[in-house]
Amino acid sequence: MSDLMSTPALGRLERFLDVSVVRHSLISSNLANIDTPGYRTRDVNFLSELRRAGSGLEYASYQPAARPVQGLLERPDGNNVSLERESLVLARTQLAFNTGVQLLRAEFRRLSLAINEGK
Amino acid sequence: MNLFGMLEVSGSALLAERQRAEVVTSNMANLETTHTAEGGPYRRQLVVFRAQRLPQFPMLLAGLQPRATRAVRVSQVIADPAPAIERYQPGHPDADARGYVAFPAINPVEEMTDLLGAVRAYELNASAVQASKAMIQQSLDILR
Repeated sequence: MSDLMSTPALGRLERFLDVSVVRHSLISSNLANIDTPGYRTRDVNFLSELRRAGSGLEYASYQPAARPVQGLLERPDGNNVSLERESLVLARTQLAFNTGVQLLRAEFRRLSLAINEGK
Repeated sequence: MNLFGMLEVSGSALLAERQRAEVVTSNMANLETTHTAEGGPYRRQLVVFRAQRLPQFPMLLAGLQPRATRAVRVSQVIADPAPAIERYQPGHPDADARGYVAFPAINPVEEMTDLLGAVRAYELNASAVQASKAMIQQSLDILR
């Protein structure tokens, strides 16, 4: 595609932000259910989701695969949400999202530079 | 993807934890209540949390399955089945024929711990809301 407004980097960054948002919403869901008996921690595999989202699937049909996380300590009420794990992943996802946004802005600035003949 | 859906999930947790704190404070307030409208001493109340799929209107409109995120809600408030504690107080207006008064089976330390748990969980979800807000703000900054 030789469309000016859709450079390959833009598409990739868009998917990166999408997967970050999906992950963030799963963390929110895990944190919301920190006291729900029987609730299991759920997460996405970031890299494989990113690959899957970029594998030419129709954008509207992209559905993230959230899986229960294995190997977490389970409390007597059947809940296995770990506060430390969720806080760490929350911080990491926020930084990843921030990075994605900054890169996206840089990409747009580059386009705008081209439009303005480098002025 | 819906950035605002995350706020609803965290918001549901804030609501549920606040309801839990309200029930716990009601238990602490009625530590010594021997007389209620239903008769007998006050019964300790407990909340039951349940994970719940969030119906997301844009997703329903598009005919897509709701995603894996789960909100939380208080599904019911149950009375603790523990028997009342009997104390010998013959002069008490609620004393039975033997002079014993039935007091609620509430342990203040247990209630205090539960309240702390609710407050911490509230704080946790409030910081998740802050994180979501920061992400929404950043995505708005792309436009600038």
